[in-house]
Amino acid sequence: MKTNARWLTMVAALLTLPALTACNPQEAANMNAQGLLYCAEGNPESFNPQLVTSGTTLDMTAAQLYDRLIEYDHRSNRYVPALAERWSVDESGLRYTFTLRDDVEFHDTAYFSPSRPLQSEDIVFSFRRWFEPSHPFHYVSGRGYPFFTASGIHNLIESVDALDERTVEIRLKQRDSSFLANLASDFAIILSAEYGAQMLAAGTPELIDQLPIGTGPFRFREFRKDVLVRYSRHENYWREPAASEQLVFRITQSDHKRMLMLLTQDCDISPYPPARDVEWLQQRDYIKLQAAVSPNTAFWAFNTERPPFDDPLVRRALAHAVDRDALLRAVYFEHAVRADSILPNTSWAHHPLPEAYTYDPELARELLREAGYADGFNMDIWAIPVQRAYNPNARLMAERIQSDLARIGVRATIVSYEWSTFRRRLAEGLHDSVLIGWSADHADPDNFFRPLLSCSAKLSGNNRAQWCDPMFDELLDAAIRTELLTTRQNFYQQAQEYLATEVPLLPIAHSVRFQASRDFIEGLELLPFGGIELRHARRLKPDQAPEQANAKEHD
Amino acid sequence: MTRYLLRQCILLIFTVFALTLFTFCLSYWFTGEAMTNSSGLFPDHPDYADAFAARAFDRGVVAQYIAYVQHLLHGDWGRSLLDGAPVFEQLKVRFGASFEVIFFVLLLAWIPGVSFGVLAALKPGRASYILILGCSIAGYSVPVFWLAQLAILVIAVHLGLTPIAGQINPLYEIPAVTGSIVIDIALAQPDNLSGAYLSALQHMILPIIVLAVMPMMLLIRLTRNSMLEVLTKNYIVASYAKGMSTRRVVWSHAIPNAMQQVIRQLGSLMSLLIANTLIVEVIFSWPGIGNWLVRSIFERDYPVIQGGLLIIGLLILVSHVLLNLFHAWRYPQVRKDLYASS
Repeated sequence: MKTNARWLTMVAALLTLPALTACNPQEAANMNAQGLLYCAEGNPESFNPQLVTSGTTLDMTAAQLYDRLIEYDHRSNRYVPALAERWSVDESGLRYTFTLRDDVEFHDTAYFSPSRPLQSEDIVFSFRRWFEPSHPFHYVSGRGYPFFTASGIHNLIESVDALDERTVEIRLKQRDSSFLANLASDFAIILSAEYGAQMLAAGTPELIDQLPIGTGPFRFREFRKDVLVRYSRHENYWREPAASEQLVFRITQSDHKRMLMLLTQDCDISPYPPARDVEWLQQRDYIKLQAAVSPNTAFWAFNTERPPFDDPLVRRALAHAVDRDALLRAVYFEHAVRADSILPNTSWAHHPLPEAYTYDPELARELLREAGYADGFNMDIWAIPVQRAYNPNARLMAERIQSDLARIGVRATIVSYEWSTFRRRLAEGLHDSVLIGWSADHADPDNFFRPLLSCSAKLSGNNRAQWCDPMFDELLDAAIRTELLTTRQNFYQQAQEYLATEVPLLPIAHSVRFQASRDFIEGLELLPFGGIELRHARRLKPDQAPEQANAKEHD
Repeated sequence: MTRYLLRQCILLIFTVFALTLFTFCLSYWFTGEAMTNSSGLFPDHPDYADAFAARAFDRGVVAQYIAYVQHLLHGDWGRSLLDGAPVFEQLKVRFGASFEVIFFVLLLAWIPGVSFGVLAALKPGRASYILILGCSIAGYSVPVFWLAQLAILVIAVHLGLTPIAGQINPLYEIPAVTGSIVIDIALAQPDNLSGAYLSALQHMILPIIVLAVMPMMLLIRLTRNSMLEVLTKNYIVASYAKGMSTRRVVWSHAIPNAMQQVIRQLGSLMSLLIANTLIVEVIFSWPGIGNWLVRSIFERDYPVIQGGLLIIGLLILVSHVLLNLFHAWRYPQVRKDLYASS
């Protein structure tokens, strides 16, 4: 019987093990008061937004590490000063002069100590990097500059020169009504010329994109692939320093896992919660759910270089084969509207053409017969592996489309890779078709045409349809050469009509962007354009925290 | 014993040879170029030509294999096809994380596993016996991924007791040196040391308990069977006849002898445990080898797959040999049996 007592103590010891963990909340609160945990949906491809167009990377880098010359204020619909205190444009519309602030400090980190504040030299360095092939950093990292190449600004700029330490002059080759919008986008960030020179001298130029130095509210500390990205506060930030001392992005691909982590306080902020759980999250009082109408479009792009997608008849057939209203219900849970144009419904140039993309399997079969594919064919649908504002579940969408296609005799296979691999292979044009989308970087409608469907976008690997049509490019060029709104509207209308006949892609939905956070996080704002801004976000101290903060889940 | 040690070592060398031969062949069996698959360098890489010569791809297959093994020994396991990171560097940190989990799981499974097994053998037919055996069959049959989901839902989400991802609250800045969070905290010496350890403990509890269930149940069953067999032996009867107490008989004679069988079976338990660890790492975002290997399979990152397979294979082989050696060292009669039969 003595042995029994022994077993009993052992069992008791085992049972007390979980009780040890019960002291969790206070301990966690002490620690977390100093930082923010943000659950990101993928690895950043680089720490330099000039090199990418992926929203995941932009969210994690642009507004956190860097600043731009000017910014766009979506409330007043105006451009506002950032690193440039003021700017002026001459009458010809070709010469822009920017005057810089004199109190902007670069990050001081373990790997770089700046000896001087921001100067015009830095602007010249950062801009020349992407538009001047002779710049020592132009080919560093070997990724190209997809946004600038795709929107054609690299060809637009004549010169960027420093007039003195605080004045920069940019000359354009021709007028461009979207130029300021592009300068205010997340891609036109400012790097440190001094750091660049140091890295060049050390023979490690590629480090400029891996160990970043910027002027932004946070400085880089650490990146562990698949695990986390760590930033700490930039104390000498020229605006009010960031509200949180530390910012950690935890990399978690699964949207479901991110939601669970929000519930267990493994993260404080979780972007893109699963659409099916939006209602459920709304009912929790300890979760703050923010929604923003962000101008975006999810689309299904066909690789027009690969047969049979080089035939517009086939593309139109596929467009008519998909029941997009069903997709809105199944994938977006009605948190989106059907897209009848590539341009979002919030844009002033929006011109919907619903007839071009109606669901009509009969017509689709007819068109396929006409194109000589009466028996259908085999194809791949690539579905993005991450959740984006425009598409919360591309995999599910691909499955629905797959079954729609089966009805017209087209046999589809779904393909997916990890995000950075996916984007690389996509840029190489290895896909038949892809379910992807685009979120606006700025308010100009040009942002939905040139970076996505122009010939230069094809060269930069951002044109998912690999579609290059000189006539379409002419329309786009004509539209940006003028400032007259009605003329521009007219050109964009024609462009959208042309897309409806050529169908290089099928617009699917414009959706609402969601972000969930714990109720003790304040200062979080969802911006309609570009990445997230986290410099005002902070965790309320435990004594300020609302009562529900520590409430646990009991249903 | 020396003879046995030599035999085991030779056996290990041969199996490792077979294993490396297999991973070497994988470079050819995977699609794409063998050179790129084994080194992780694409033909447009500036070092490609040098690596091509160093890996003897301009010579015969035998020379290539020898070069492959030499590279392995020098810690050059190729680079990831995706991000160009050296596989071996990653592997060291990942291995530390996985090994930590396996170590704690074995520790946690061993004590209650053996204890309950002994108890079940001593009390056949009692309620405790039925309870223990019932639990062990149930626990053994539950798939680990289901148990993990259930644990997350009940313990972490509903009761809010533990976190569910990673090794530690990432706000503690602990650089990954060895990969094992317990050692890394000791190396980093953060300001709030006890807080860091507590956070690490909280992160560890769920994956370790979930993983420990299966080996624990298996140990219960193994111990019980082995005990029942030992208890019928003559020396047990003799001990009782000498007037020894039940407690002494069990402690000094039955358990040590029963363990002989159990230890022999531990090897197969290791392979099962490692397979389960891979799954649990993915579920709990534990930055170990499993998480990494599973992702690399999805992405067809061949150098990583080869490295991951090799290290897991090595881990299983080495643990088998060590177990065998321990077994032979602890139980002389095993050595005698072996010599007699060989």
